[in-house]
Amino acid sequence: MDTSTVKIILQILHYLFFGYAFAAITSYIILSIISGKETIEYLKKNSFVNYKDILSSTMSPSITIIAPAYNESLNVVENVRSLLSNHYVNYNVIIINDGSTDNSLEKLIEAYDLEKVDFIINEKIKTQPLRAGVFKSKNPAFEKLMIVDKENGGKADTLNMGLNISKSKYVACIDVDCLLLEDALQKMIKPFLEETDAKVIATGGVIRIANSCIIRGGKLIDVNLPKKLLVQSQILEYLRAFLLGRMAWSRLNGLLVISGAFGIFDKETAIAVGGYDTKTVGEDMEIIVRMRRYMEEKNEKYKVSYIPDPLCWTEAPDNYKIFISQRNRWTRGTIETLKKHRKIGFNRNYGSFGMLSYPYWLIFERLAPIIEVIGIVYFAILIILKEVRWEYALSFLLLAYIFSVLFSIIALYSEELTFHQYKKKGTGYKLVLLTALEPFVLHPFILYAAIKGNYDYYFNKKKKWGVMQRKGLAST
Amino acid sequence: MATYQYFIDYFNEAPSLIKLAWVTICILFTAIVILTIYLKLIRTALRKKNTESAKFKAEYEATLIEYLYSGSENGDINDLQIATIEKLKTSVHIKSKRKIIISILYNLMNEVSGEMSDSIKTLYFKTGLYNYALSRLENKNWYIIAKGIGELTRFKIEEAHDLVVPFIKHPRHEVRKETQLYMVNMFRFNGLTFLNDLKEPLSEWAQVQLLETLQKFDDQQICDIKPWLKSTNNSVVLFALKLAKIYNQFETKDTLMELLSHPIKEIRVKVIRVLTNLYGIEAKEMLKANFNELSLEEQISFFGLLEKLVVPSDEPFIEKHLFHKNFEIQLLALKILKSINLDKFMGLSKSPKNKSNKKILKFVTNI
Amino acid sequence: MSKNKIVLAEDNSTLSLLLKFRLEKEGYDLFIAKDGREAIDLIEKETPDLILTDIMMPFVSGLEVISHLRLKLDLDTPIIVFSSAGQEEMVIKAFNLGANDFMGKPFSPNELIIRVKRLLN
Repeated sequence: MDTSTVKIILQILHYLFFGYAFAAITSYIILSIISGKETIEYLKKNSFVNYKDILSSTMSPSITIIAPAYNESLNVVENVRSLLSNHYVNYNVIIINDGSTDNSLEKLIEAYDLEKVDFIINEKIKTQPLRAGVFKSKNPAFEKLMIVDKENGGKADTLNMGLNISKSKYVACIDVDCLLLEDALQKMIKPFLEETDAKVIATGGVIRIANSCIIRGGKLIDVNLPKKLLVQSQILEYLRAFLLGRMAWSRLNGLLVISGAFGIFDKETAIAVGGYDTKTVGEDMEIIVRMRRYMEEKNEKYKVSYIPDPLCWTEAPDNYKIFISQRNRWTRGTIETLKKHRKIGFNRNYGSFGMLSYPYWLIFERLAPIIEVIGIVYFAILIILKEVRWEYALSFLLLAYIFSVLFSIIALYSEELTFHQYKKKGTGYKLVLLTALEPFVLHPFILYAAIKGNYDYYFNKKKKWGVMQRKGLAST
Repeated sequence: MATYQYFIDYFNEAPSLIKLAWVTICILFTAIVILTIYLKLIRTALRKKNTESAKFKAEYEATLIEYLYSGSENGDINDLQIATIEKLKTSVHIKSKRKIIISILYNLMNEVSGEMSDSIKTLYFKTGLYNYALSRLENKNWYIIAKGIGELTRFKIEEAHDLVVPFIKHPRHEVRKETQLYMVNMFRFNGLTFLNDLKEPLSEWAQVQLLETLQKFDDQQICDIKPWLKSTNNSVVLFALKLAKIYNQFETKDTLMELLSHPIKEIRVKVIRVLTNLYGIEAKEMLKANFNELSLEEQISFFGLLEKLVVPSDEPFIEKHLFHKNFEIQLLALKILKSINLDKFMGLSKSPKNKSNKKILKFVTNI
Repeated sequence: MSKNKIVLAEDNSTLSLLLKFRLEKEGYDLFIAKDGREAIDLIEKETPDLILTDIMMPFVSGLEVISHLRLKLDLDTPIIVFSSAGQEEMVIKAFNLGANDFMGKPFSPNELIIRVKRLLN
C-alpha cells in the first residue's frame, strides 16, 4: 500500500470523525434548547396545580407499587415503611421477595405482623412459582401491604409476578432500596389522567442520588453533596441526563428508557406485551421499547411521559468496581434491546420512534464508545506515522472539553432554576468545579465499562449468564 | 509582551479552521465565566429568599392567628384587627410576601370552617388580595389567569363570578378546568351546566377534581343527570356514570339500559358496573341473553354483576360458563356456584372428570 | 392540679399553631409533632392525656400512631383523629384500631374544644 492510499484513508476517517463530533454537538445543543422550552412549560403548568383533591380522592385510579427485593434484609423493614407512607388514597404495595437467601421475610413478618393468606394468581405472564406464599398484615394500619415470597427468577421475573398479582389500573415498578418522597404517586399519576388525545402507556421519574443525604426512618431530611468525587460526578451526570436529555426527549415523545428504579406503567399494556423480558439485563429499557412498538403496530396514539421532580432517591455506586459493573450491565442492556428491536430502526412505519429515537440511541449511545475507541486508535496511528497536526488536534480537543463543561453548567442552571436541591452554601462552587473535573473522573471509566460491556456481550457469554442468575438488586 | 506578540502572530498565521476553533473557545470560555458568576448570584439570592420566607412565614403565621382569635362574637372588627390589616396591606404589595400570606391563609381555609373561615375571607378582601387576584384575570398569560381563578376558588369568592364565567370557553384546557372547578365550588351541581354543551373531552384529572369538590358539600341534592348520560361527548357520559354510581341514581336505570348498546366499549363496561351498584335486575336478563355477543371485558363485568345479583334460577347459566377460557370468569363462576349451590360445588371438586382449573377450585373451596 | 397534656400530630404547620394557640388558652399543655414518627416519640416521652392526630401524615400515618399506642404501648389514652373528605374508610379503620372520636376537615376549632373537654372529663 503506498502512502497516498494511506493518506486518502486517513483523510476519509478524519472527515468521518469530524462529522460525528459535529453531529453530536449539534444534537446536544438542540436537545438543551428543547429541554429549556419544555422545562418552562412544565413549570408554568405546575404553578397552579392543586394535588389535594387527587391524593385524597377514592375516585382517583388505583396504583400498585411493585418492589422486588433480593437479599435486602438490612433495610427492607424501613424501606417498606417509606413506601407505605405515600400521600395517595387508592394504592397498595406488593413487596416480592425473589428467593432471598437472607432473613428478609422473617424480618418483615415480625415487623408488620404478617400472616399467610390464601391467594390465587392469574398467571397471565409465566413466572417462577411461589415459595413461602403470600402474606398480609393482621394490623389494619398496614392494610395496603402485601408480601409475596417466590422462587428466585431475577428482577424481570419478579416484576412480572407483581403484574400478575396487581388488581390496579396502574403499576409503579420501583427498586425496594429507593426512597420515594410522599408526593411521588400523585405527581407521577398526573400525566395518565390529564392526557385526553393519546393513551399514556408509562411515566418515568427522575432518579436522584441519595449518598451522604440524611435519611431518617425512611424520610429524606437533608440533601448533601457527597464527599467522593466519583459520586459527585454521577450527580452531575444524572442532572445532565434527566434535566436536559430526558426532558427534551419527553417533549419529542421519544423516550426510550424509564429508569428501572422508578416508573409507572399502564398495567393492561404492560401485560399485553408480555411483561418484562427475563432474558435481558436491560429489562427496564426493553419493556418501554416493546410497549412503544406494540402501540405503533396497533396504530394507536400513545405517549411516554416524564416527570422531572426529584421524587425518587437512591444510593449510587461509590467505588469504581461497582460503578464499572453497573455501566457494563447498562451497556449490555442497551445492546440487547436495540438488537432485539432492530426492525424499528430507520423504519418509516414506526414514525419518529423509528426515524429519530432509535437511530439516536444507536448512533450516539450504543456506538459512541466504539467510535471513541476507534478515534483513539486512529490518533495513536497518526502519532506513530507522525501525521498529527498538533495545532488542530489540541485546539479541537480543548474546544470539545470547553463545550462539555458548558453543557454541564447549563444542566446546573436547569437544576438551580427548577428544583434547587443542593441549597447549602459552598456547594455551588463545588458543583462548578465538578463540571471541569468530571470529564476526567467519570468519562474514562464509563468508556472502559462500555467497551467491557461490548466485549462481554459478544465474547463472554458465560459472564452474561452468571450475572443474570445473581441478578437481584444487590449491585444497583 | 513578547509572548503576547507571539500569540497574536501565531493566530494571524493560523489556518482559518484553527482561527475559528480558538474564537469559539474564547467565546465559550467567557460564557462559562459569566455563567459561573451568575450562578453564584442566583444561588445566593435563592438562599436569601428561602431564609427570609421562613422568617416571614413564622412572623405572619403568628400575626394571622392572633387576628383570627381576637375577633369578637358578633363579627365586628376591633382596633387590633384593623392594625393587622394595615400591616398586611403594606406587605401584599410585595410579590414574595403576598405569596406567603396567601399560602398561610389557604392552608387554614382548607382545614377550618364556620366563623373562622368567614373571618379569613374578610381578611382576604380587606387586605387587597382580592384585587390582586382580579388583576390576574386580565393578564395575557394563560397560566396566570388559571392561577387567579384557582385562588378565587380556594377562597370561595362568589363575588368574582361574572368575571370568571367567560373563561369557560378559554382555548387552554387548564384555564377551562380551573373555571369549571370554580363554578362547581360555588354552585355545586348547578355549576355543572357547562357539561350541557361541552365539546372538548373532560380529562380524568378534571373529573376526579369535580367529584371531590361535589363530595365536600353536605347538601347532596343532585340534579337530573340523564341529559349527560345521553351526551355525544363520551367523556361527559363517563363522568355522568360516575355521578350515577356515587349518588345512587336509581331513576336513571332506563337510560343506563339504553347505554348497554353504546358504541364505545369502555362505556358499556362501566354501565354494567354502575348497574351492579343500582341492582339492575332487568339488565341481568338482557345481558344473560346476549352473553356470547359481549366483549370479554363486558363478560367479566357481567359476572361481577351476577356475583351480587345472583338468584338460584341463574344456576344453569353459571354452570355453562364454569369452564370459560378466562381466568376471572372461571373464578367468579365458581364463587357464585358455591354461594348458590354448595352441594353441587363440592361435587365438582370430587368429580374426577371435570376440566376446570384445579388451583381455582381449591382456592374457592377454602374461602 | 397539673395541666392536661395533649399531643397534636398534624403536618399542616399553620393549623398546628392555630390549634396550639387555642388549646393553650383553654389551659392545656400542647406538644406538636409534624409527622407520625415524631408523634410516637412525643407520646412515649410525655405520656399525654389526649392525642389529636391527622390520618394522612408523612412517613408514619395516623393509623399507625393509633395502632402503636393501643397495641404496642397498650395505652388507652383518648384519641381524636382528623380526616379529610374521601377518607371515610380510613376513619372506620381508625375506629377499629381504637380511636375515640373523629373530626372531618374542615372543622371549627370551637367544636374541637368541646370534644376535647368531653373526652378529658
